[in-house]
Amino acid sequence: MAYVAARGGEAAIERAEALYRRLLGPLDPGLVKGLEQALPHLLDRVMSEGSLYAPELAALALAQTGGDLYEAVLLLRAYRTTLPRLAYALPIEPEVLFTVRRVSAAFKDIPGGQILGPTLDYSHRLLRLGGLQSDVPPTVPEPVSAENCDFEPQQVPFVADWHRQNGLMPPRPTDPTPGPAIPDLTREPLLFPAPRAQRLQALSRADTGGVLALGYANMRGYGAIHPTVNEVRLAYAEVRLQHPATGAVFSAGRVRYAQAEVLTKFRPGPDGKPTLELGFAASLGWNEVKLIAAAMLDAAMDLPEPHPAHTEEFVLSHTEPVEASGFCIHYKLPHYVTFGSDLDALRKARAQAVAEQEASRSAEVTE
Amino acid sequence: MRLAELAHPRQDYAYAFLDAFAKRELRRRLLKAVAIPGYQVPYASREVPLARGWGTGGLQVTLALVGPEDVVKVIDQGDDQSVNAANLRRFIARMSGARTTTDTALATLIQSRHRIPEEMLGPVQILVLQVPYPEPLARVEPSFARARELHADAEYGQVWLGLYEDLVRYRTPTQGADYPVLVHGRYLMAPSPIPRWDNPKLHQAQHLTLLSAGREKRVYAVPPFTEVRPVEFSDVPFEVEDQRGWADWQTGVRHKFMTELPQADGDCRYELSDRDYARKRAAGLPTQPTYYNEEGRFYHPGYLAPRTPAERLERLLHGSPDDLPA
Repeated sequence: MAYVAARGGEAAIERAEALYRRLLGPLDPGLVKGLEQALPHLLDRVMSEGSLYAPELAALALAQTGGDLYEAVLLLRAYRTTLPRLAYALPIEPEVLFTVRRVSAAFKDIPGGQILGPTLDYSHRLLRLGGLQSDVPPTVPEPVSAENCDFEPQQVPFVADWHRQNGLMPPRPTDPTPGPAIPDLTREPLLFPAPRAQRLQALSRADTGGVLALGYANMRGYGAIHPTVNEVRLAYAEVRLQHPATGAVFSAGRVRYAQAEVLTKFRPGPDGKPTLELGFAASLGWNEVKLIAAAMLDAAMDLPEPHPAHTEEFVLSHTEPVEASGFCIHYKLPHYVTFGSDLDALRKARAQAVAEQEASRSAEVTE
Repeated sequence: MRLAELAHPRQDYAYAFLDAFAKRELRRRLLKAVAIPGYQVPYASREVPLARGWGTGGLQVTLALVGPEDVVKVIDQGDDQSVNAANLRRFIARMSGARTTTDTALATLIQSRHRIPEEMLGPVQILVLQVPYPEPLARVEPSFARARELHADAEYGQVWLGLYEDLVRYRTPTQGADYPVLVHGRYLMAPSPIPRWDNPKLHQAQHLTLLSAGREKRVYAVPPFTEVRPVEFSDVPFEVEDQRGWADWQTGVRHKFMTELPQADGDCRYELSDRDYARKRAAGLPTQPTYYNEEGRFYHPGYLAPRTPAERLERLLHGSPDDLPA
């Protein structure tokens, strides 16, 4: 009688949560600050899926949930939805991006240069076991400063703009949609076919694992688009706002921003001539795996007849981390009414089968 | 006079959690849902501090409607004490200050998962059903975009075909709970995973039923006094769960929806699923009229097909009674 045990109402709930918190240990500002400093990539993932750029709150969410990612993302989402939208930032342009890493697989060299930047890509993935030994002096990396680093964040053009200049791709719209006119996924339902803005918003806050799984399926050959990574970029972006009274543009702060572009086989463009198709994804926070997979999915969704697993509705519905994880764990809830109803249908079907067997048997006897 | 005296006292969250914009959006969608019975109205569906799939759709509707004067009841599988029901009730009360009750008769707002109470709801009561799958066509058309087109054309042939295939294969419909209904002769609707026993309660009901799927972002409604008919062939009538031989092991009550409790000896016991109704019956307290009477007859005579030879004979002799509230 498991579900009788799962009753007992409010007292049981409170004790279960208290037990969880006791196992987790205390929650204090030191722990939160420590997480914020030690785990920036994890924070990036939680912030992008939680669609709230707030490192301190993301660290708090991680501390409060003991690192349960889906729970942490839900905490951020449930908090962000109560916040008003105060203003719309200006679009991110290459000239206001401080790019720290930017690689293109399409060309050997690109205007502005290939910038390897901070990455583990070419590191040897060896556990640094010395980090466990207390008698070995800890390796303290030297902090990055102007004196010891010849690298500076760069303002470099997008590779796609080179394609556009050379007529290989349709030009960028010169007059971007004003902020309030952009359909907002968090304030309106997502219907299909979705406006492109909502698609990119959905990919931006999609579940990393889910996007990777569907993207990887595409890469392996299920409706493959045979893409080339045009550019992957990690940068710091100024959040530029226009002052409501003076009209002056000012920066409200800097965020970690990343984007990926993939090119697919050429297809007829808007002017009828064949052009390169661009798949695109961007997010707050740095998460290259997700962005490359998402950019490929963006391109795959645009195919005239995408693979069933790469239609827009399939991809966007099933990579929503809060919805997917929540629905998955909801199966723990009691379902005895629905199961009872199913059993009733089964018993009736069995009774019908028995009645038919008996009828055919008696028919044989009669013969 | 100081500014602090004039200012509203600090609140970390808006009244009933949802901010005014979210409430306005949802209330507009609800009005549209009431105006077009059974039609699924898409809504933004904000995140709430509960996991998706745990009643977030129902909760948003409740939060958009609840006021300080309301009396809220929350049930899961018919039980007020089920942990998730208790949790939802605790949250609604905490965020709205509304009173709570387990007594169906006292509630103004009832949020429920998988059940409609046995006692008849009245015109001032609102029932909010939590919905996991709002799309009744999902079994035949998994794409919501395509399903919306089928609804627009009232193209429900696939559903009838599915029922026909069931009859060919099993001689009976295989759908347990969440049995699809046609609302006011127009929209096919998933009544949420209530047992078939509860489906007829939506028909020509006195109360308003709001159905909300948080994850799938759809809200729809069955307004009072709306025709709600099951998908059925005229010669193979829709049937509710057959629990005619079952009696509640504590009170001996029959002809109310029961839960089967397996016993260690391989036998089983039956228990009333509506726990607050069971409490009242066990304590000998007065109860409201129920949708099914003590003989198991539904209160709209003729809505359900006769199940016994005597009932069938009666219908044959006297014809089908008119389908209006008794």
